[in-house]
This record gives sequence, C-alpha cells and structure tokens, in this order.
Amino acid sequence: MNKKKLTLKILLFLIFTDCLETLIQFCFKKSAATGIDFNVSSIANALTFLKLTLFSPYLWIGLITVFLVFIIWSTILSKIDLSVAVPLASFSYILVPLVSVIFLHEKIPALRWVGICFIIIGIIFVSRSSKEKEALL
Amino acid sequence: MIKPQLFLIISLIVLTSACDTIAQLFLKKSINKLNFETHGIKKILSSIGRLLLTPRVYLGGMFSLLSLSIWLYVLSKADLNFAFSLDSMHYIFIAVGSVVFLKEKVGFTRWIGTISIVIGITLVALS
Repeated sequence: MNKKKLTLKILLFLIFTDCLETLIQFCFKKSAATGIDFNVSSIANALTFLKLTLFSPYLWIGLITVFLVFIIWSTILSKIDLSVAVPLASFSYILVPLVSVIFLHEKIPALRWVGICFIIIGIIFVSRSSKEKEALL
Repeated sequence: MIKPQLFLIISLIVLTSACDTIAQLFLKKSINKLNFETHGIKKILSSIGRLLLTPRVYLGGMFSLLSLSIWLYVLSKADLNFAFSLDSMHYIFIAVGSVVFLKEKVGFTRWIGTISIVIGITLVALS
C-alpha cells in the first residue's frame, strides 16, 4: 500500500467514474420524479411511489451503472488515499458546465465560473498533495 | 409551515452525507486490508470477488443503501441545486474520517484543496 502516487491513468479513470456518476444521478432523478408527491404519513401513497420507482427502467440502468462504478472505484481506491480520491471525483462539477457550454451553447452565470475556478484550484491542490512524499502538517 | 420542512430536508442531507462517508470508509478499509491486485482485468475481477466476501463491505453497502434511500427522498422533495450545494460538506466528512479512521495523512495542501472544492461546489450549485 505504498504506491499512493496519483498517475494520469488513475486520473482518467476517475474522470470516467465521474461521467458514470453523472449518468447515475440523472437516472435516479428521473426515477424519483414520478409525478407523485411522496408522503411518508400515508402508506398507500408511499407504496405507489415505491411501485412507480421500482418499475422505472431508469432506476435499473442506474443500479447497473452503480455496480460498474463500484468495480472501477474499488480499483482506484486500492491505488490512492480516500482523502485524495473523493475530492478529485468532484470533476463532474466542472465537466457538466463545460459540456453544456461547448456542446449546448448554454450561458453560464459569472458566479458559477468563480465556483468552477475554486474547484479547479482545489483539484490541483489535492492532486499535488498526493505527490508530496510527506504531508506538510 | 415552511421552516420545519426546510429543517427536515437539511438534516436529511447531512444524514445522507454522513452515511455515504461511513460507507466509503468501510470500503476503503476493506480494500486496505485486502491484497488488491490491479494488473489486468482478470486480477481486478478476482480482487473484486474477494472484496465481496468481506463482511465489512456489506456493512458499508448497507450505509450506502440507506444514504441512497434518503437521497432519493430528498431529490423528490428539494431543489436539486440546493441539495447539491449542501451535499458538498461531504468532502469535509471524508477528509476528517480518513484522518481518524484510516490514518491517512491529510496535509495543509490537501486541506486547502478540499476546502476550495467545497466553496466551489457551493457556488456552482447556488448560482
């Protein structure tokens, strides 16, 4: 477990996991938006919600992707620290806006650009920290 | 009427983050204890197989499932942007958990990076 260096290969796998993760979120949002107002106080209502969600193909596509992510994610975790892998997985927060700018020509508010910059700076710091031999503290 | 509702949603998001962090910690702990081989897909799959025989992984999986259920409920109730902005504190939980339970060395640079990412995600989600 001494091979904790972050390589380009691991980074690419992390980005791939992020893409899949985005797909999962999309599928789950789709399966949860059944048009029924989920209400815990009414059992009948909760059951209808559960039924609609369980029979949604989106839920199952999402679940299969979850297992795929589990395999890739475990492999990544065997190589690097958890406190490096998780922050680096925030790549999707940059990926989605960038894709929507380049391919969908969406306008992005200034505040979001500031946020994206913060995330990029954070990712650079975190990835550098895994290359250092000893932590500074 | 709105205030207790909002409080409930916020508590649930914190709970999801906490459950997800615990799940990740269990998974990483099992992988650390396992001799995880990554040369070739065959070795990876056999490592995954051995990983799936570890009880700790299922403990983590249960927390993951719990986290997912709460998250699905939150998504059906709350605004996606609001939910994601609050979920960013998950990164802080992970960093603290890694130090306490996995004995990872989180140095100054990594803390700065993590906090910067949290600020960034909050801004992206709320803008």
